[in-house]
Amino acid sequence: MAPQTPAVVMDNGTGYTKLGFAGNDSPSFVFPTAIATKGPAAGAGGSGSGRPAVGQKPSFLTGGAGPGGHLSAKRGTEDLDFFIGDEALGAAAGPGYGLHYPIRHGQIENWDQMERFWSNSIFKYLRVEPEDHYFLLTEPPLNPPENRENTAEIMFESFNCAGLYIAVQAVLALAASWTSSKVQDRSLTGTVIDSGEGVTHVIPVAEGYVIGSSIKSIPIAGRDITYFVQSLLRDRGEPDSSLKTAERIKEEFCYVCPDIVKEFARFDREADDRFKHYEVQQPGGRSVTVDVGYERFLAPEIFFNPEIYSSDFLTPLPTIVDTVIQTSPIDVRRGLYKNIVLSGGSTLYKDFGRRLQRDIRHLVDARIKASEARAGNQAKSGGLDVQVITHRRQRHGPWFGGSLLGQTPEFRSYCHTKAEYDEIGPSIVRRFALLGGPGST
Amino acid sequence: MLLLDYGNLLIESLLKDRFAPGATPTSIDQISGEFDNTSFHISTPESKSKILISLAIKCYPELVKYGAEEVLQREYGSLIVQPESGYDFSVGVDLEQLPESEEEKTDLIRRISLMKRNALAAPFEQAFDEFASLQEQARQYTSESAPQGVREGGEVRAIHYREEEAIYIKASHDRVTVIFSTIFREETDRVYGKVFLQEFVDARKRGVQNAPQVLARDDPPLELQGIPGIKAGKGEVTYVTFVLFPRHLTPQRRAEVISHIETFRDYFHYHIKASKAYIHSRMRRRTADFLQVLRRARPEAEEKERKTASGRTFTVKG
Repeated sequence: MAPQTPAVVMDNGTGYTKLGFAGNDSPSFVFPTAIATKGPAAGAGGSGSGRPAVGQKPSFLTGGAGPGGHLSAKRGTEDLDFFIGDEALGAAAGPGYGLHYPIRHGQIENWDQMERFWSNSIFKYLRVEPEDHYFLLTEPPLNPPENRENTAEIMFESFNCAGLYIAVQAVLALAASWTSSKVQDRSLTGTVIDSGEGVTHVIPVAEGYVIGSSIKSIPIAGRDITYFVQSLLRDRGEPDSSLKTAERIKEEFCYVCPDIVKEFARFDREADDRFKHYEVQQPGGRSVTVDVGYERFLAPEIFFNPEIYSSDFLTPLPTIVDTVIQTSPIDVRRGLYKNIVLSGGSTLYKDFGRRLQRDIRHLVDARIKASEARAGNQAKSGGLDVQVITHRRQRHGPWFGGSLLGQTPEFRSYCHTKAEYDEIGPSIVRRFALLGGPGST
Repeated sequence: MLLLDYGNLLIESLLKDRFAPGATPTSIDQISGEFDNTSFHISTPESKSKILISLAIKCYPELVKYGAEEVLQREYGSLIVQPESGYDFSVGVDLEQLPESEEEKTDLIRRISLMKRNALAAPFEQAFDEFASLQEQARQYTSESAPQGVREGGEVRAIHYREEEAIYIKASHDRVTVIFSTIFREETDRVYGKVFLQEFVDARKRGVQNAPQVLARDDPPLELQGIPGIKAGKGEVTYVTFVLFPRHLTPQRRAEVISHIETFRDYFHYHIKASKAYIHSRMRRRTADFLQVLRRARPEAEEKERKTASGRTFTVKG
């Protein structure tokens, strides 16, 4: 390969898959991580064709892997009859296809489906020959090494890809924040707040390594905000309160306010300015207008005051971040406070970072003050720098970080190649040299 | 998905986005790859409404020799602009001067997404044309009296579209022969490949009578004798020969045939990989089954000697 082919960056998340080539500033394709296959949806179990799974075998020999018992009966090209992404959602709306999500909670659950998902991603969407390209895949923090090995088996043995690097999403999100002007040194130490569709994670990273014991997750994320907006719309009796409308309102109008009480007062004062209208095109050509009011600032507020939405989870996000950093090793805490990086679609609200920074700073300052008082005010603390980084690549943070690192000239030397895999076996991917860490650019 | 699409999906979706009524022009800067070391660059260098799409293809000089410029000129005409540096061919689309009707827009998107296919189609079209003229000439002779040139057919067009692999096209008066040379890096792939190729070879026996004849062999076929860079004798290179008969070469069929045969290698490799995925899923399933058997086969707890509280044992009488 004389001219270097760009590396392929694939970020498979629970909700969405981001595909593209390293060096680009946005993924080429973003679509749901969904696959539609012939037969009933997941959970229906048993054989799809309505006949006994495998007749001649005793019953204890069948079962096991759940649905798919009719696999051995397939002799034609049924295994190629599937769709991924948006096409999958379309196909599953019609008869005959069942929709599956091969990734749950960030981790790959169904390898058969994932293998086919990748095959289609590579050949249909990216249209590349895997032999010619290096691949950068992502994994969630605390991914078991067995999952890495399975991934490597598929990438190397099915697709013969030239080289593979598996990076942790949080580390890539840190790398993506290097584009922000606030970041002076390109360090891989920081706290990543990754809030997507399903769940929000707060992940401390020290010099490129995730501090696994301190990770905390919050059961509030994009979907909850949508539900909350929807419930507010329903309470008011708006003419359209579908989930889609709620989602559009969330994306277009919501922002984070510094203080709820003041914001309510401001809404009452400047009613014309603050209240918005959103027009919904309903099926059948009718269009209705939905008023958009307090939910503009109340919806993202559930991160900071969860009690307005949920009754069983009550800790605000700033407190969680503070706890995470306080439970991390003492020598990295300063770095973790200084570099709090946002990533994921649910961190895109206007002033989200500013509010978070203010709240965390309040917590930190209060603690310092208390400890100074306990010491009898004899020693003064030098203060602690809290900084939340917002940047333009937040939405696809991990993907962009991958693209950034994947285009560096030394990226290939960090990958494991096909030859190395053949020599050592799948266990080779248990360890990777740290990409973008100290020593590299 | 049985057949691969011929166009580039990224270009298609990007342009569709931009061409939609009411879409705001935004700046784009994307590089994208395609099969066979082809790369695309889609950008908006001057203003947001002018999209530049550039193509770099490894064997472009060879394609130009076989008339790629005319084919591209015919397909893209006034859209062609000076090639961007580092790329071989560029077209520019101005969003402010789009065709009016929806069909024309769709057609334009489709044409641009087929850029690689069109570039690669040139030697095929040339060969098909040559076939037509040879056929005309051959009508005048009987098979014995034909002069050397007509009987032998035209020269062999070689396209080295990959580092180690090439397509050779040769037109004769009664057929066009397309030969792919392929190398398998992987032993497993070679085995799968063999099975697939055997299927291609046998297709005509199975009642698909109008399929082109396919031959697969390990040594260079006679058509390629004397072509520079071809090693005689058996080697690691497999030669796959497609013999296209006049019925495949009619003007109505032509575009379709070219698209199909161009994607042959990608199609072939896609299916090798898909079969591996299928075998893997069966292997996983079988493992799960065996694990279940093992789990059920746990030895039963051995019966211990039971004693009463005072320490006396039970005995079986009789």
